[in-house]
Amino acid sequence: MADDKDVLRDVWFGRIPTCFTLNQDEVTEREAEAYYLLLPRVSYLTLVTDKVKKHFLKVMRTEDVEEMWFEYEGTPLKWHYPIGVLFDLHASNSVLPWSITVHFKNFPDRDLLHCPSSSVIEAHFMSSIKEADALKHKSQVVNDMQKKDHKQLWMGLQNDKFDQFWAMNRKLMEYPTEEGGFRYIPFRIYQAMSDRPFIQKLFRPVSPEGNAYTLGDLLKEMYPAAITNDGEQKRYQVVIHGIEPLLETPLQWLSEHLSHPDNFLHICVVPTPSD
Amino acid sequence: MFAATPLGAMTESGRNCRKTDVGVLYRTHRGVLCLMSGCALNEKEFFSCCQLLLQQSEHLRDGWSWEAVQGSEEGYLRKTVLRSVLADCYDAQKQTETASDSVSPVSAHPIQELQQQERTQPVVATCFHSDGIIGDDGDEDDAVCVLSEGSSHVLQYEYHILYSCSYSAPVLYFRAFTLEGRSLTLEDVWSSVHPNFRHCLQNSPLTAITQQEHPLLGQPFFMLHPCRTEEFMRPVLQEAQEQPRPVNYVLLWLSVVGPVVGLDVPLKYCTQLHLSSLQHSASDLMSSTVETGVRRFARKTCK
Repeated sequence: MADDKDVLRDVWFGRIPTCFTLNQDEVTEREAEAYYLLLPRVSYLTLVTDKVKKHFLKVMRTEDVEEMWFEYEGTPLKWHYPIGVLFDLHASNSVLPWSITVHFKNFPDRDLLHCPSSSVIEAHFMSSIKEADALKHKSQVVNDMQKKDHKQLWMGLQNDKFDQFWAMNRKLMEYPTEEGGFRYIPFRIYQAMSDRPFIQKLFRPVSPEGNAYTLGDLLKEMYPAAITNDGEQKRYQVVIHGIEPLLETPLQWLSEHLSHPDNFLHICVVPTPSD
Repeated sequence: MFAATPLGAMTESGRNCRKTDVGVLYRTHRGVLCLMSGCALNEKEFFSCCQLLLQQSEHLRDGWSWEAVQGSEEGYLRKTVLRSVLADCYDAQKQTETASDSVSPVSAHPIQELQQQERTQPVVATCFHSDGIIGDDGDEDDAVCVLSEGSSHVLQYEYHILYSCSYSAPVLYFRAFTLEGRSLTLEDVWSSVHPNFRHCLQNSPLTAITQQEHPLLGQPFFMLHPCRTEEFMRPVLQEAQEQPRPVNYVLLWLSVVGPVVGLDVPLKYCTQLHLSSLQHSASDLMSSTVETGVRRFARKTCK
């Protein structure tokens, strides 16, 4: 369907206008100006912020520079989460541009993974793709791919090449027609105010009778508090790529069209803003 | 064949066992063991295997505990270990002589033990040749000491065993700190992996040690990637099926991956299992303490 392909493009090209400000406790030789950037929702912070680093290094001495990390309103931002997920989870109902603070000292190694090079990001990205395929196809599709095919997925993401990426990714989105969908849906549900970083469990897209499960069915099973009952006031928003899909949407369709490039459906449950 | 207590649903033949996706679950005196017909482990079986391992650990004072998630069956096994790395140069031969039934290059004690006994066991130091392989030609002149002579470092290692539903397998997570609270880096951790293992791991990135977010705690841990687990478990499980011999999947898996990251799995775990030989009747073998333990376990899990 032509409409469905458009959804794939809209997801890929989603952007978040961001303002990067240097932490005021950093030692600088002169005042650091803020840096503005449109961040791709589907990419990772450490992959797309080379320009940010260059900009701030201009006003700092090398001895004052350690591993760069980012923070929003006191919360260290996990670079290994897709950017769009971080925004939806922490700042979805705040005013744009998204204001991120940049640090070069005191890396919080109890909260954040280290990211010494882009090969670490690549390893993490490929690891997610492999895990997603373990759930969808018992790893058969990803294991049948050659090394160069894996590389194509990564290069597509790194260089923002939609066609290059999807030429390979479409194989990961196929399933035997008689099955009606993937074996299990790769998903993660995030809640901002929780000790647990995310909920990830086994969930089939199709019932034993052959009925398609919906987003609502998934939430009812995994996070019932997110669902508003009749007559109640809506406490939570269920956000994927910055929008609230209808709870009646089939989960299989969501997995095929609204997954991130890592092949996971990342779902954020955030409190409804009280105006 | 197995003297057993009721496990719940009975098969048509009325035996005390239950068929699952991956094999037949038997309830024996020692808890639940699984006769695997496949190489995957589901979450219920993971939980049962962990409880059994826990029982044995308590008996052996090996220091494992179960951390439950919000009162559900979901959770993980956890063990904290203090290890000292002595810095004196130590040649390869001496090392193989003093190493008993453990493979780790440093001796590790469950935290309670180390507090009780000062250091009665020989502490083995890690000593590296410039090419990273220990004792190939026994050329001591090439040995390079990592730490300055005479100093010793005490490190606190924390090991977690979680279940991965994506790979139907257990996963080993761990982290380490100095006593001052400094986290060990990936480089530090690599250097504590036995050189022979390091060589293997470096060539196979899929079993490599990487830094990951702990799925339940959200904090950085090191992890041994689980995607190859089914592969290396298969030969052992198939052999066990042929005999047939019930196995504790988690214990079996741990005895393979644990030593890679310095986690000791005492042989006594297996000796305990074999003692409860399935040909003998319960009354011949059981000591009263174990019987009480099993009854407690049976009460807890019988629904």
